[in-house]
Amino acid sequence: MRFDCVITGGGLAGLIAGISLQKEGRSTAIVSTGQNAMHFFSGTFESVKEAPARLAEIFEAAGIKVHYSAGVRLMPMGTFREAELALGDVDIFPSERFASKALIVSFRGEQGFFTGFLADGLEKAGIACRLAAIDRSSGIKKIAAAVSGLLDGEDAVVLPQVFGQKDSADVEYLREAIPAKVVFAGTQPPSVPGIRTQMQLKDYYISLGGTFLQGDEVTGAHVHDGVVHSVVTRNLDSHYLEADCFVLASGGFFSKGLLATPTSVVEPVFGLDVDYPADRSEWYDPSFAADQPYMRFGVKTDVALHPMIAGESVRNLYVAGSILGATRPEFGTGAGLAIRSAFAVVDSILKP
Amino acid sequence: MKQNEFDVIILGGGITGAGTHRDCCLRGLRSLLIEKKDIATGATGRNHGLLHSGARYAVNDPESAEECIRENMILRRIAAHCVEETDGLFITLPDDDLGYQKTFVDACRKAGIDAQIIDPELARRLEPSVNPALIGAVKVPDGAVDPFRLCAANMLDAQLHGGQVRLGTEVTGFIREGDRIVGVHTVDRRTGENADYYAPVTVNAGGIWGHGIAAMAGVEVGMYPAKGALLIFAHRVNNYVINRCRKPSNADILVPGDTVCIIGTTSTRIPFEECDDVAVTPDEVDLLITEGAQLAPALSSTRILRAYAGVRPLVSADNDPTGRSISRGIVCLDHAQRDGLEGFVTITGGKLMTYRLMAEQATDAVCRMIGVYKASYTENTPIPGSQVKSYEEVAGKIWEKPSAAQKSAASRMGTRAADISEGDASVICECEEVSAAELKLAIDRLSASTLTDLRRRTRVGMGTCQGQFCACRAAGLLAEAHGCVEKERRDLADFLQERWKGNFPIGWGDTLREAEFTQWTYKHVLGL
Repeated sequence: MRFDCVITGGGLAGLIAGISLQKEGRSTAIVSTGQNAMHFFSGTFESVKEAPARLAEIFEAAGIKVHYSAGVRLMPMGTFREAELALGDVDIFPSERFASKALIVSFRGEQGFFTGFLADGLEKAGIACRLAAIDRSSGIKKIAAAVSGLLDGEDAVVLPQVFGQKDSADVEYLREAIPAKVVFAGTQPPSVPGIRTQMQLKDYYISLGGTFLQGDEVTGAHVHDGVVHSVVTRNLDSHYLEADCFVLASGGFFSKGLLATPTSVVEPVFGLDVDYPADRSEWYDPSFAADQPYMRFGVKTDVALHPMIAGESVRNLYVAGSILGATRPEFGTGAGLAIRSAFAVVDSILKP
Repeated sequence: MKQNEFDVIILGGGITGAGTHRDCCLRGLRSLLIEKKDIATGATGRNHGLLHSGARYAVNDPESAEECIRENMILRRIAAHCVEETDGLFITLPDDDLGYQKTFVDACRKAGIDAQIIDPELARRLEPSVNPALIGAVKVPDGAVDPFRLCAANMLDAQLHGGQVRLGTEVTGFIREGDRIVGVHTVDRRTGENADYYAPVTVNAGGIWGHGIAAMAGVEVGMYPAKGALLIFAHRVNNYVINRCRKPSNADILVPGDTVCIIGTTSTRIPFEECDDVAVTPDEVDLLITEGAQLAPALSSTRILRAYAGVRPLVSADNDPTGRSISRGIVCLDHAQRDGLEGFVTITGGKLMTYRLMAEQATDAVCRMIGVYKASYTENTPIPGSQVKSYEEVAGKIWEKPSAAQKSAASRMGTRAADISEGDASVICECEEVSAAELKLAIDRLSASTLTDLRRRTRVGMGTCQGQFCACRAAGLLAEAHGCVEKERRDLADFLQERWKGNFPIGWGDTLREAEFTQWTYKHVLGL
């Protein structure tokens, strides 16, 4: 099978690259293992301020609601973090005291929504709290009615961020139907808004004519004289995916874009050069809370985001997303790194 | 008797202290156990979990070997829910001297250990993970023992017989009357409150910390802190304990236990100052993997869950630089006879699995000193939970159709699992199948006040996810039980730090993937 471009990785970076290239009339395929960092998305875009116009266009076309304002957001453990660009599910407040009284509602038997921690955090922010639990009834109207019935003078309701698997209609309905400010607080992963956003991007990509190979994995590549000719996937076996160019957005360690062994850190598909110290004792900080050196390791790239094998650039291969680690600090971290490096790769590919 | 007066005070909440506390209580003594941290925090929780047959010591330390085999048989009876009767193999590899096998088997038989030479082909069939290159094999009655479970059950039985426990309480000094110790000054490490307790006898069961306790009492117990490093693998590769049939050396025992297996150990003398925070070095990790793969080649490609180390409380005998030749025999010192200090006993040396005999000897000494003439009956008295041997039978009696989590609870708690039959069955820890009810019971009845305490009592957070999924949920339960969220937030951070401590020395492959996921989740998604 032949495409203009084959992309490894169906996360934020891979999808943005695929969508942008499809919009420019290129034929592309994305090979996705099925799970990626979007499934653990907090709902706010790390290291991104206002969405650049080309990102806003993609989000709007994909039906993804985002908003921008500088302020703080409520985290699942009851802390507040600075945020700027967020999914519609997540409120950004000018200050921590976003209400005077809040009702925190959980579903009975739910273990991943941390009501005690949330209440503690809100009280520290000067918001009086009351806890309540309801049964997980079917239908968003029943839930809205049950929550409304529990209100007793509270001007805010905090609910788990678990609504709207396909779109954000339920999220918007709850905001309208409940006569108080409705705030969604995250739960233990996976993240419902994150999965939804990934699916919306994927559906939009497919609607643009993209080929999304879900549940498949790139297992090898044919590279000659600094040029990638094709990649091999587990499901397609001997039907190689050929293309003029390739994008590697296969993620960090968790997503298996990078693989650590006792003596080395490798990029397992192409054997790309990785930037890391040889001495294993320098890979970790003994403090869990510290920034971990291993998270900075990444594939080495040149100006055009071509990676290298034994110091030589691979001319039609491009790298985007968290597989870069902290090797390209100008792109930021987290979602910001995924978005900026994906656009940079697209620009590199489209440059005449 | 006043509130703060007892017949005996026991210092140390490891298995020796817990066993002694239980024996004292069963003999009708008013006993108080004081522990600086939590149960099983020292060497008790930091070893192989090997129910020695004694074979390892048969050649060089026959006295320990005899103690081991005797206690091995007793623990199978009285601690059934803590013991797995796996049997063990002593294998001879091409590099080893096959001639040693005969010496070994003769010594085992002399010590009363049923050692059977078996054909290497049979050994390969019995234990498919064993190094297929083996040229000799001996089958012995080794087994596995869960030290946390054993320690908690001894502690619980003591409590059921009127014993009192002060966890998180440190002894700051002894109260003396002339040449007699009559009590202790303590401070509660959580509240800072001071308290004095009195008893005619104090037992020093502090493991390696017993050295410092003795020094505080003004007597010298020459101890030899020997660090042993171990690795836990994420899968149970072997079903038999696998040992090397040679003189005891590094990394030559592989013990299966629950869903994992453990390779160890090393033996290195360390300074006393380091006993509180022992770290595993990259060299030790590499040695354990290389030597472990000699026993079971699959280990070289099996995910490693954690690296950890404990400190053996060996009693110095000579200038042996590794401590390998120091006897593992029990040392029970009556300091009145030895040093002219009345009312003070030190119980040390020994092994996890000879704890009951150590407890018996220490309690005998206590009874002698206070003039109580009662014999120990722990040899024939099951610990709580161990009245029925098969956990499936236990689960079947409590629940009509037991779930996996209920069966797991029955295997951990034995017959005590009946106490959670009515509780909240939602599963908090999927790796180890621990329910909310089991955690709540551990908080209420087994005095767990932190996540790490809960881990020692229930295995929460010990599985492949290393607390990634369950730690925040269990923290929610603790916060609710204690009514203090801020404290619990710190506790959760401490717990994740403690898990990371055992992960980063083996931070590659899936272990690093899991760690990256955990760090991402707690820092960026949950906002701890």
